[in-house]
Amino acid sequence: MDVSFAITGKGYVILAADTTAAHSIIKVKLDEDKIKALGPHLLMAYSGEPGDTVQFAEYIERNIRLYQIRNTYALRPSSAASWIRRVLADSLRSRKPYAVNLLLGGYDTNTHTPHLYWVDYLGTLVEVPFAAHGYGSYFALSLLDRYHDPEAPLEEGLATLKRCIDEVSKRLVVAPGNYKVKVVDKDGVREVEL
Amino acid sequence: MSIMEYNGGSVIAMVGKDCVAIASDLRLGVQSLSISSNFQKIFPVTDRVFVGLPGLASDVTTLHEQFRYRVNMYTIKEEREIEPETFAQLVSSTLYERRFGPYFIEPVIAGMQKTPSGSLKPFIAATDLIGCLNFAKDFVVAGTASSKLFGVAEGLWEPDLEAEDLFETISQTLLNAVDRDAFSGWGAVVHLMCFFEGSTHPLAQPRRSSTNRIASPVAP
Amino acid sequence: MPDGSFAHPQQRHFNPYTENGGTILAIAGADFSVIAGDTRQSEGYSIQTRYAPKVFRLTDRAVLAVNGFAADGNMFVKKVKQRLEWYRHAHAKDMPLRAIARLIQTMLYAQRFFPYYVYNILGGIEEDGKYHTSLPSYSTAFPPHPLSRVHWIKREWKCGPKVLVANTFRLLVQLGSGAVYSFDPVGSYEREACRAAGAAQSLVQPFLDNQIYFKNQTAPAGQSHPTHLPLQDVLSIVIDSFTSATERHIEVGDGLEMYVVLAKGRSPQGLESIAGIQEVTTKSDSDRVFVIRRELKKD
Repeated sequence: MDVSFAITGKGYVILAADTTAAHSIIKVKLDEDKIKALGPHLLMAYSGEPGDTVQFAEYIERNIRLYQIRNTYALRPSSAASWIRRVLADSLRSRKPYAVNLLLGGYDTNTHTPHLYWVDYLGTLVEVPFAAHGYGSYFALSLLDRYHDPEAPLEEGLATLKRCIDEVSKRLVVAPGNYKVKVVDKDGVREVEL
Repeated sequence: MSIMEYNGGSVIAMVGKDCVAIASDLRLGVQSLSISSNFQKIFPVTDRVFVGLPGLASDVTTLHEQFRYRVNMYTIKEEREIEPETFAQLVSSTLYERRFGPYFIEPVIAGMQKTPSGSLKPFIAATDLIGCLNFAKDFVVAGTASSKLFGVAEGLWEPDLEAEDLFETISQTLLNAVDRDAFSGWGAVVHLMCFFEGSTHPLAQPRRSSTNRIASPVAP
Repeated sequence: MPDGSFAHPQQRHFNPYTENGGTILAIAGADFSVIAGDTRQSEGYSIQTRYAPKVFRLTDRAVLAVNGFAADGNMFVKKVKQRLEWYRHAHAKDMPLRAIARLIQTMLYAQRFFPYYVYNILGGIEEDGKYHTSLPSYSTAFPPHPLSRVHWIKREWKCGPKVLVANTFRLLVQLGSGAVYSFDPVGSYEREACRAAGAAQSLVQPFLDNQIYFKNQTAPAGQSHPTHLPLQDVLSIVIDSFTSATERHIEVGDGLEMYVVLAKGRSPQGLESIAGIQEVTTKSDSDRVFVIRRELKKD
C-alpha cells in the first residue's frame, strides 16, 4: 500500500512518496519514483491501482506539457488541479474508472503563493495546508494537526515531514522502507535528501 | 456505507422578514477520517442567489461547475441575471437529466426573489438527488445532519425573524445539529441576504449579502 | 416431493422483534424531574393505537419511560414493578432511585444475549440533595421514621473560642434532587441532566443540548448559565420538543404524557394552575408525582 505526504510552508510545498512497487505481498522494485514534475512549478504524487497510476500520470503529464507548448506558458496550479480533477470525475462515471489518488503541489508564480491539493479517485478536490494518502494518513494527519506551521522555513518543514515518516516507520506494520522527497518553490522543482 | 454519507456535510436555509439565510459546515472527510476543515459547500450563483451542495464531494465540484456554466449561458442569452426560482428549476432539470445515474447531491437554494412591485422577497428551496423540488415557506435542510437540523430548526425557528435574529437562529440550529453528527462540523459558514427598502441599515449599505465565518474548532 | 425428487432445504426465519416508534424524554431540575413520552404506538406506517402509555410511575419518587419494542417494554416495566414490590415487602420502604437504576442495569444485562429491545429512561428524585437547616415545624410535624428522609444527627457547635457539644439532637432534613438515568438495551447507564430516546431522538437531543445545557450559547458578560431550569421552563421545553418532533416525524404524535416528580419539601407552587394536572402520589409525606396530559397532532 502506497504512502504519500505533502506539506506547505513559507513559499514552498514538500511532497514525499514511498519508492516501493509491490505486486501483492512481493516488493518488485525499491526505487520507483511516484512523484512527477508536471511543469516548471508543479509536482504530482500519485498512488493507487498499479497500472492505472503510471498510465494516468503520463496522460496528465503529456497533456499539461501540450498546454504549455500550445500557449507558451504553463497552467497555474489551481487550473491544473481543476483540469486533473475533471479527468478523474469524468473517468469515475465511465466504463473503467481510474483508481488513482493524487497530491498536487505547486507554486503560483503570479501570486507567489504555494498551493497543495488533495485529490482522490472519485474526483474530490480540496486545497489543504497538509495532506496524506494511504495508511500513512492515519498517522500523519494527527501529527500535522499538532506540528504543521504554514510559516515554517524549508528546514523546519522537512523536519516535520521526517516526524511523519518516522512515525509511520515505527507504528505501521506494512511501512515502506524508502521515500523520495521533492520540493517546489519559486525556483522550481527539485529533489531533496532527508 | 452510503455514498451520501461518504464525505459528510450539511446545509440549511431559512426564511426571515425581508431576509434569507443559508449556512453549512466546512468538513470534508473520507468516512470517519477528516481531510479538510475548510471545504466550501455553498456557492454564490448571482448577487442574490446562493446554492448549497451537500453530498458526494466530487459531485459538489462537478455540479458547481455545471451550474456556473448553465447560469452563465442563461445570463448571456437572457441578458439578465437568473431569478432564484428559475435557478431552482434549472437545478431540478440538471439533476433529473441524470435520473438513472444521479449526482449524489441534495441541493439547497436560497435567494431574494424579485416581486412585480420591484421589491425583493426571500426564497428558499431544496431538492433530492434526482431533482424533486421542495419549496418550503420556513426552512429547508440537507446532508448527513438533516434529521438533527429538522429537530432543532422546528424548535427554534419562528415567522418574520429580523436579519440579526435570523442569523442567530440559523447559526444555533446548524451548530447544535452538527455537534450531534459525526460526519458534519469542523467549522461553519453563514450567508445572509437582506432587503431594506431605502434603508440606512448598516447591513444594507456596503453589500447585498454578508457572510460570517464561525471559527473552526481546529487549526485549518 | 410428489414426483419423487428431493426438495431443496428451506430456511424459515422468525424475527422476534418489532419497532413501535414513539419518543421519550426526561429532564432533571434542582428538586424535580420531568419524564415525558408521546402515546402513539405504530408498526411500519400503521398506527396500532393513539393511546399506549410509555411512561410509568414506579414509586412516589421514580418514573420509568420505556421506548422501542412495546411488548418488551411492557413486560420489562411489569418485572421492574414486581422487583420493587418485593423490595418494599422486604425492607418496608421504597427503593432509592440510584438502586432502581442499578436494578434496571442488572435486569437488562441478564438478557444480554436475547435483549429487551427497549431504551429506558428513569427519572425521579435522588436522595443526594442538600441538607436543609432544620425548621422547628419539621421536628413536630414529622417524627423520625426510617421511611422518611429525616435524619437525627449529633452536631458539634463552635462558638468563639469554646467548643460546645450540643446535648440535644438537631433535626436535619435532606432535600431530594432531580435525577435522570438513561439506559441502552443491554444495561449501560449513566446519570444525566436530560436525555431523549426513541424515533425522534436525533431531532430532540440537539435541541435539548441547546436549551438545557446552553450548548453553543455564550452567557452575557459577568453572568453564567443556570445549571438547573425552573419547572415552568422545563415543561415549556418538553412541550416544544414534542410538538416539533410530531411535526417532522411520522411515528410521533397523538398524545403527550408528562410526569412531574417533586421532591418532598418543595412546594407544588405553579403546578396547580396547569390545566388537567392529576396527582398520582400514593403516600402522604413523600415526594409527589403528577401527570400532565396534552394532545398532539394526529396526522
